Amino acid sequence: MSSHAAAGAIDHHHDPTTSTGIPHKKLLWWAFLASDCMFFGTLISTHLVYRINPPPGNHSPTQVFNIELTSFSTFILLMSSLLMALAVNAIQRGNIRSTRTMLLGTVVFGAIFLGCQVYEFEHFVHAQKMTISNSLFGSTFYTLTGTHGTHVAVGVLLLGLIYIRSFKPASGFTGGEMLKTFAHLLVFCVFAGVFFIEIVPGGIQLVLESVPLATFFAQNAKWLGLFAASCVGLWWFARSSARELDFGERNAIDVEAIGLYWHFVDIVWIIIFTAVYLLEYI
Amino acid sequence: MSSPSHSPAAAGHHEPSKFHTFVGLAMILSVITGVEIVLVYLPLAKWFVVSSLVILSAVKFLCVIFIFMHLKWDKLFCTVLFFIGLVLAGGTMWALLKLFGAEAGKPLSATPLGLLLF
Repeated sequence: MSSHAAAGAIDHHHDPTTSTGIPHKKLLWWAFLASDCMFFGTLISTHLVYRINPPPGNHSPTQVFNIELTSFSTFILLMSSLLMALAVNAIQRGNIRSTRTMLLGTVVFGAIFLGCQVYEFEHFVHAQKMTISNSLFGSTFYTLTGTHGTHVAVGVLLLGLIYIRSFKPASGFTGGEMLKTFAHLLVFCVFAGVFFIEIVPGGIQLVLESVPLATFFAQNAKWLGLFAASCVGLWWFARSSARELDFGERNAIDVEAIGLYWHFVDIVWIIIFTAVYLLEYI
Repeated sequence: MSSPSHSPAAAGHHEPSKFHTFVGLAMILSVITGVEIVLVYLPLAKWFVVSSLVILSAVKFLCVIFIFMHLKWDKLFCTVLFFIGLVLAGGTMWALLKLFGAEAGKPLSATPLGLLLF
């Protein structure tokens, strides 16, 4: 893409310097996503095959599921896709500030989705007594949705990496800058990790199980403190970034590549939501 | 290089913004999801609800890949490449569901032997 940058105008959909006319990074991601389709295809099939002929001792899905919570997390994931598309749109127009905001928004929405899944799994295991090994339904369900959740978690990490990449100074990395970048990544990981492992599941418990607010704060005081500290850290890193940056419109292909992965995770959930959840209620 | 030099107002050669297209699509996807949830609670024929859910999911799927994932604006080869994986995955699913949905493909779980196995 560098030749385009030199020419002034960047065509974000075509690259005449490659034999296919498609940027290599984009082609690689599409090939990977095509292979991931087959991966999820087999997992969804396995789940459905065992739902067609359920063995004895299976849990009843409608008694286990909480369709309201799953619908909410589906909506959140759809909205995260919107923010991701807007992040790509912003970087293609050279608007770095908007790109960062949209990337962080996507991370937050992705973390809310993961938090819903953490709560769901915890509730299924402890309240519904459905583990990965005590029924075939549990085995296929946890394998499928857990694999999808892992994809979302990897997506959140990739989004974090590109977000931190957007602060790379034009002068390159000196020793101090490198250390600062690692610290930035660490703060980001604390921010996302504490949010989806502790805060979101605690918040859902607060709403669904009518836990008193005082109990919520008492139980999560240290996590809320750590989360607040990581928010302050992210704000400080954003404020103290270099003026001249090695990040701009020519990096749109990097943001778009991660966007492709994120949207793929969304379309897989579209299928899982219908095939695994909604069809059980008919 | 720096952010100020890349402000949208500073450069006139950027491609047109798709902001309204994306926001509009997100609204449509939300409405479709809402319709899907309501559909399963309505006292309608099972075949109709299943068909509707499959069609609505397919519409959402195609909207996301063609608009959010830019396939509409990219070279056709990207679409072909992705659909190779998609068709293979769909074919595998269809074959497995046909095989295990057939009478002869039912597991032995209903028999005492099956109970032992599971």
